[in-house]
Amino acid sequence: MAVLVLIEHGDGQVDELSLQALTLARKLAAGGPLVALLVGPGGREAAGQLGAHGVATAHLAEDERLAAYAPGAWATAVLDLVARLEPAAVVAAGTDRGNEVLSHVAARLDLPFAANCTQAGAGSPTPVTRVRWGGSLLEEARVHGTPALLSVAPHTVPAAATNGAGAPTIEAFAPRLSEADLLVRVAEHVSTVTAGVSLAEAKVVVSGGRGVGSADGFGMLEELASLLDAAVGCSRVVTSAGWRPHTDQVGQTGTKVSPDLYIACGISGATQHIAGCKGAKNILAINTDAEAPILANADYAVIGDLTEIVPAITAELRKARSP
Amino acid sequence: MAVGALALATALAVCGGLFARRAKLLVDLVRLGRPAERFDDVPRRARNEAVIVLGQRKLLQRVGPGLMHAFIFWGFLVLLPTILMAMIGAVDRDATLPWLGHQGWFALLVDVFAVLVLVGVLAAVVIRKLQRPARFQGSHLGEADLILALIAGIVTTLLLWHATRIALGLNEWPAGWSPVSDLLSGLFGDDSVTEVLERVFVWAHVLIILSFLAYLPYSKHLHIFTAPVNVFFARTGAGGRLEPLRFDVPEEEMRFGAGTVPDLTWKQTLDTFSCTECGRCQDVCPAWTTGKELSPKLLIMALRDQVFEEGPKLVRGADGEFEPAPLVPGAVTDNVVWDCVTCGACVRECPVSIEHVDHILDLRRHLVMMDSRFPSEAEPMLRDVERASNPWGKPQTERAEWAERLGVRVLEPGDPAPAVLYWVGCAASFDERARTAAESTARLLKAADVDFAILGPRESCTGDPARRMGNEYVFQAYAEQNVSTLNEAGVTTIVTSCPHCFNTIGNEYPDFGGKYEVLHHSELLARLVRDERLQPKAGNGAITYHDSCYLARHNDVAADPRELVAAVGEPIEMERSGKRTFCCGAGGAHMWMEERGGKINEERAREAAETGAETLAVACPFCTVMLDDGVRQRGDDMRVVDVSTLLAESLDDGDGRPA
Amino acid sequence: MRILVCVKRVPLTGGRMVLTEDEQALETRHLGFTISPHEECGVEEAVSLVEQHGGEVTVLTLGPAEAEEQVRDTLAIGADRGVLLATDGAEWDPQATAATIVATIEAEQAAGGTYDLIIFGNESADAGNYQVGIRVAHALGRPVVTGLKGLSIEDGQARCEQEVAGGRDVYLVPLPAVVTVLEGINLPRYPSVPAKLRARQKPVETSTPERPEPRLEKVRLVVPAGQGRQAQILGSGPEAAPAVVEVMRELGVA
Repeated sequence: MAVLVLIEHGDGQVDELSLQALTLARKLAAGGPLVALLVGPGGREAAGQLGAHGVATAHLAEDERLAAYAPGAWATAVLDLVARLEPAAVVAAGTDRGNEVLSHVAARLDLPFAANCTQAGAGSPTPVTRVRWGGSLLEEARVHGTPALLSVAPHTVPAAATNGAGAPTIEAFAPRLSEADLLVRVAEHVSTVTAGVSLAEAKVVVSGGRGVGSADGFGMLEELASLLDAAVGCSRVVTSAGWRPHTDQVGQTGTKVSPDLYIACGISGATQHIAGCKGAKNILAINTDAEAPILANADYAVIGDLTEIVPAITAELRKARSP
Repeated sequence: MAVGALALATALAVCGGLFARRAKLLVDLVRLGRPAERFDDVPRRARNEAVIVLGQRKLLQRVGPGLMHAFIFWGFLVLLPTILMAMIGAVDRDATLPWLGHQGWFALLVDVFAVLVLVGVLAAVVIRKLQRPARFQGSHLGEADLILALIAGIVTTLLLWHATRIALGLNEWPAGWSPVSDLLSGLFGDDSVTEVLERVFVWAHVLIILSFLAYLPYSKHLHIFTAPVNVFFARTGAGGRLEPLRFDVPEEEMRFGAGTVPDLTWKQTLDTFSCTECGRCQDVCPAWTTGKELSPKLLIMALRDQVFEEGPKLVRGADGEFEPAPLVPGAVTDNVVWDCVTCGACVRECPVSIEHVDHILDLRRHLVMMDSRFPSEAEPMLRDVERASNPWGKPQTERAEWAERLGVRVLEPGDPAPAVLYWVGCAASFDERARTAAESTARLLKAADVDFAILGPRESCTGDPARRMGNEYVFQAYAEQNVSTLNEAGVTTIVTSCPHCFNTIGNEYPDFGGKYEVLHHSELLARLVRDERLQPKAGNGAITYHDSCYLARHNDVAADPRELVAAVGEPIEMERSGKRTFCCGAGGAHMWMEERGGKINEERAREAAETGAETLAVACPFCTVMLDDGVRQRGDDMRVVDVSTLLAESLDDGDGRPA
Repeated sequence: MRILVCVKRVPLTGGRMVLTEDEQALETRHLGFTISPHEECGVEEAVSLVEQHGGEVTVLTLGPAEAEEQVRDTLAIGADRGVLLATDGAEWDPQATAATIVATIEAEQAAGGTYDLIIFGNESADAGNYQVGIRVAHALGRPVVTGLKGLSIEDGQARCEQEVAGGRDVYLVPLPAVVTVLEGINLPRYPSVPAKLRARQKPVETSTPERPEPRLEKVRLVVPAGQGRQAQILGSGPEAAPAVVEVMRELGVA
């Protein structure tokens, strides 16, 4: 079956999460044609990378009014293609934008939309497995509608290239935009200069929970973080207690991080928090309680008092680095 | 004589009038206060009067200053009739009190006690001027000096008056019965100079007394009237019980806690008038001694000052609406209110039965329930207690996990009630360090064949942390819920390993319809050991036992845990033990609040380490965690362990912990 | 201003997921309940806006009868009235939820005037479908901005801020509008006890709508197997520090 995939891109590069979505879409297409949609400037350059992932045709929605993101306009671009190509499914990455655009599409077509799926299969109704509670629970569901609209839960499907040849065919088109489509559009961008590494992009995150004990207690985490070029994060209890700002919060309702290493210090591992850090490639838990739920979600653990262990790690790192 | 009578009458009128006017204001200020139930249990109250006021028991806890004050106080009581005698004598040189004025034994008492008063005054001077104890920091020392001078003046003029009367042969009693006056009489001849001096001394005596009378209600010396009353109306019930509030009130009456002066109860106002600024409370306050802002003495003084500042306007019923200022941060800062660990050491020490903890709790109630103004780090705990039924915010379903591993029975709805319900408490259910005590207790109860069960997920937080923070509303919701669960299950006897649960269920739940026999686990275990249903073996070395505030001070449980310690090792006592124990720092919801300044738990750990003991035994999950932290932070080589675990380990044959 | 906030009652799960026997729902016996943190911030936002601009806040929820507890909590924060669309406890899919909410809103507006602003949480804590707010906006023909971390109202226009990489994106939309907010947009107040007592007296209207056939049909719930993670204990206490640094080296981060 033909599957249409909405590809997000920036600076001429395809988003990692869109490649993951593409991988799931390819499985869903099961040999059928895989078609991509890229909206906005830089699409042409990004589209070239898609051949290696099995995309046959890449459609570029081009219009100078698409320079700034506008969910309604993106939805119109999808709808135009859907009307023309009649795919069996439309897939996007489960990012803020992906979910938003497909929700608009779903509303306008009066079709069901399954957000954050980890699996999807052929058939009508379309069987999907989707994520609940930020990842701590799965739902097996059936989508009663054609095309099946679904987004792919970030970091649940590894992006896989095919042995596919060359670049896809590129077709540009101008979506039939209306006034209403452009009403909700980014009017302004305010840059904020963040000191240090941004939490969402850090390769290493040193995070603290209730076990840190106080705002001052974070000092030792900050010290370790500075040695590792890491960002400092925290659990929701810490922000509720007023020790750290909400911008540092990692969790289902905070920032979702995907570093190479996530160090969870004195964090018990409530599902709210796990939802924010399960994208990490490796999790190291430091906790006094060997039965804390975080250990069931971690790769490595050290049992003991973080106020002793974290400085010890810092000291060991310094020692290892000094010539 | 007529002149004398007139002069006396005038002096009495002036000084008496000044005294009466001020006294009336003080009475009106007290009556401005909200109601308080303090009229029950009269026999107990009378006994307190006798022991604390007449017997000076609380003051005598510190022997030196205690005797100093006792001499002055008892002396004052004995010398009361001499005031009348002096007034009579001032008007008519040849008259005195009928019968008593002629009694030699009374004259002897007068002399002896007059000297004791002077000894007391001298001791006071030595303490205040030479020793200068830290507890006087913040007190009005100048005022005290003046009062001591006046007392010395009164007694000296009395002795000198008697001396001159003896010298003139005017004594109505045999001179030999008043040896001191007799001795002093040698300074005076039987002449006209002495006649003048005799008049001088008696009038000086009378006038000093009368001016003292007028000055009294304007100074802290008014405690001589307020303190005995305050002691009479002190709490007679359990120290750990707080007075519940009612929430089913109409909109206009929705004021909870103490936000302004009119919110204070009459007992609280009376408290502030009874304070002598002695600082004994300050000395034992864990917050003050670790460098924090809170001093119970300064708190009461600040409230007193606010009452005097605003009270008169409120009494007058000002014609423009007078808006009293908020007590926090007007009279005291937020830090002062939140630094308190509700350990009750201040209340225990206070010689005039001031109840500082009640003041602080009422201030907290207003801040939390009316203003939502409290340390932000405590907000997650309050929300968790309210929504998740425990201050850790963990699911209730996890409560019984440790128990299931040990095969402990979990009471389901409809099950027959066990002989003993083991109330585990949130700390032991959710904190791994506190859990060991619960596991040990369960093993011991099984080993002794006690029929017991736990409520598991149906056990909610007793509400103590919320109540101690001042959130009476959340507390009552849980009190009612737990009482309902316990009553439906037909529970009659409860044992708990947490002194806070012990205090709340035992002393506070009866206010909500929950009346059970409540034991602390050390009480039950000690009983089982005495009955030889458990047979511990000695073997641990030196053990020092830390009394929990909520066990020893608020509830008088100190002997039973010590029996357990003595059964398994060699006890060594810390200096601050039993009812004078020093807090671990977790009380008053401080387990969930940050500590400014020095650490209370480290201070206590220091004291424990100084005994040289290898083991620090505790009987409370909060003490376990706080003191373990304290010991680790100090790097001491001491093991912090619950008495139940020590007992359980000793039942094991030989090596280490039970399987 | 008339503001409507939509909330959903969800359980406080803690660290573990336990399902009912029929695998249709979480076992919630002994669990506490709340509304999602996004929604709590939504209620706080609405109450703050009304404190600034005057008006009224209505809170609406679709859920079991017990959801009245959550509605009363929002009334304690400062909302003025509540609307409870009571279900029999079964879950409704996002389209059904949105359609019923729209029907209720249309009826309310016919009677009492337009809602200038309708606020949703960005996604519910449990199902996380991300779409109800957008569907409702569409049906009502109003603009919708999602994922807000900042909101202010001026001259009939909403200034909406989203956090993106490198800063914030700003949208300006005319009222009436629909927004979905994220936790962090504000700090919800801790209600005073008088507010909680008054909340008990505020009006909550209940109705029992019919559940339409689900088009995103739940088959069953599954607790994911520990995702293959079995934590390798590197040691206990500070002595484990060298082992930790070794792992960091292997991962290429030290």
